[in-house]
Amino acid sequence: MASRDIVQYRSPGRRLLSILTVVFLAAYLVWTILPLFIMFVSSFKDLLAAFQLPEVGDWLSIGVFFDFKPTAKHYVDLFVDNNFGTYLVNSIVAAGGSAVVSVVLGSMAAYALSRIEFRGKKDLFFWIISTRMAPVVAVMVPLYAIFRGVGLVGTLPGLILAYTTFNLPFAIWMLKGFFDNVPYAIEEAAMCDGCTRFQAFRAILPLVAPGVGAFLVLCVLFAWNDFLFASIIGSGGAKTLPPATRELVQPQNIQWGKIMAAGVVTTIPMMFLGLLIRRYLVAGLTMGAVRE
Amino acid sequence: MIETPPRPARSLGEAVGETIGFTQEGARYLKYEAGSLNPEGSRRYYFYLMLPAIFVLACITIYPFFWLIYMSLHSVDIGGAGDMWNDFRNWTRLTRDRKFQDGWLRLAHYSVLCILFEVGIGVLLAVILNNSRFEKVLVTIFLMPMMVAPIVAGLVWYYLYNSTFGWYHWLLQSAGILGETSILGDRGTAMWGIVIVDIWQWTPLIALITLAGLKRVPRDQLEANMVDGAGAFKNFFQVTLPNLYPFLLIAILLRFMDNFRFIDAILVLTGGGPANSTKILPLYLFDISFQFFKLGRGAAIALTLLIMTIVLGLILVRVFESPAGKVNQNEEGR
Repeated sequence: MASRDIVQYRSPGRRLLSILTVVFLAAYLVWTILPLFIMFVSSFKDLLAAFQLPEVGDWLSIGVFFDFKPTAKHYVDLFVDNNFGTYLVNSIVAAGGSAVVSVVLGSMAAYALSRIEFRGKKDLFFWIISTRMAPVVAVMVPLYAIFRGVGLVGTLPGLILAYTTFNLPFAIWMLKGFFDNVPYAIEEAAMCDGCTRFQAFRAILPLVAPGVGAFLVLCVLFAWNDFLFASIIGSGGAKTLPPATRELVQPQNIQWGKIMAAGVVTTIPMMFLGLLIRRYLVAGLTMGAVRE
Repeated sequence: MIETPPRPARSLGEAVGETIGFTQEGARYLKYEAGSLNPEGSRRYYFYLMLPAIFVLACITIYPFFWLIYMSLHSVDIGGAGDMWNDFRNWTRLTRDRKFQDGWLRLAHYSVLCILFEVGIGVLLAVILNNSRFEKVLVTIFLMPMMVAPIVAGLVWYYLYNSTFGWYHWLLQSAGILGETSILGDRGTAMWGIVIVDIWQWTPLIALITLAGLKRVPRDQLEANMVDGAGAFKNFFQVTLPNLYPFLLIAILLRFMDNFRFIDAILVLTGGGPANSTKILPLYLFDISFQFFKLGRGAAIALTLLIMTIVLGLILVRVFESPAGKVNQNEEGR
């Protein structure tokens, strides 16, 4: 805000306000991190330690939280007993496959859409964005019936296709905004130099490469974190990490250490990717309506 | 604005020729080439580029949409006797279906609660973060919950809420806020339980959008208002907030749609219980379609949900196209 240039007098009220803001920020920081921290720490606790809790109101023995011997047992168990290696590969193939398909087809379409005008373009765009926004459950009802008919339920191609329902419109919509910012003059120049149209399209790709890369990563992120499609359309042969994590919850015997470890395995790669494309995150999550 | 005198229309070839001082012949040569450069002249090429994406999208959205309408008019029996016309029974049944109506009410209740808190906390957070010393670091940390898969977020909170070994339950109990009851097992608190998870995960998004909006509040307006004698608080409500409205509207609409879209966390937290008190409509739809496999009735419910989403989408696109939305795209210095 503008108040920076203006001389501020240190009144008691102002001091109180600054203390309050620091307290608020600290509280919010704890509130954000604590669940993730507990997930991370609990994934190294063995079964009994995970259930340890002080008596109600006994604030002093809060240290019992750290009172355990760290063990990597759960991580080993996941990959040895629970086949998490397969699920991890499934996740990578499904998320990566749909991201690549979406971004390749999407960038071609987005480029074309940004270069020509035609009647009904607005309607086309509305169709594209509304498919992105459609509730997953509602989309899944007919998709399940159709996929079942053609034998795509429980297969990775089916899952990739299902993820493409939300990733492709996303890619078209976001990349169109990117191509709009590339002046047509560049292609003109390339074509004057003797490029064909397709070569001219390739010539401007390096300019949009950062955006294309960022939206590829975002597509991976959306698909990776999906649970509903994976649990219905992928059930059987194409189980990915989220449904596999969910399956560890059994009414009789909830193995919290394992579940937390699975949570960490699912979460860490996405956090890393999120940080990698930090600059495009807000644009991506708001469908390009807001840019930082 | 200074008006330039209107120039006679000329082709690109002529223009290039003029600029670089080509001979008449050269200019003619360029003009010949330039004819094919005109984007309007090569529609077919762009059409072919578009075709694969549009085709795939049509196959996985339009075709299923008509299939959905078809299903909503039949009793669908997967792998059994086949589909039977049933005289709109799927639809007439909705009017008598208490769970369907309650589902809508609960969805509204849930969404409003989530958005109210998220906007409140998010705006406060953004105002505090804006231009603070640690803005970059803090924003990066606050982003983390958004990267967590909703199902994992649900499971972690399920653990934290647990009435025998959950740390948050212990915390709340020790602070005297909560009695013996379990958070997710009680009809009064279960809704709050799922709302809090949503707040944890998605408040940062609102804060980020607001932060982007705050960066674009025109300085001169703030300063002019200050010269008029407004203090920081007055300034916020008189200048900053009105400038934020389009951003907040986008944020709220997006959150509404996401609340329609995602039920992953609720699915593991309560599964709709206790006594259906958290069974919001998408969850009811999930149960009908994929627990009981009544796909015909599911299709009718799905259609109502889709129509609602399309209405929200129309509003969102309006906002995108509004002058405020335009301004914020042009200002981007890319």
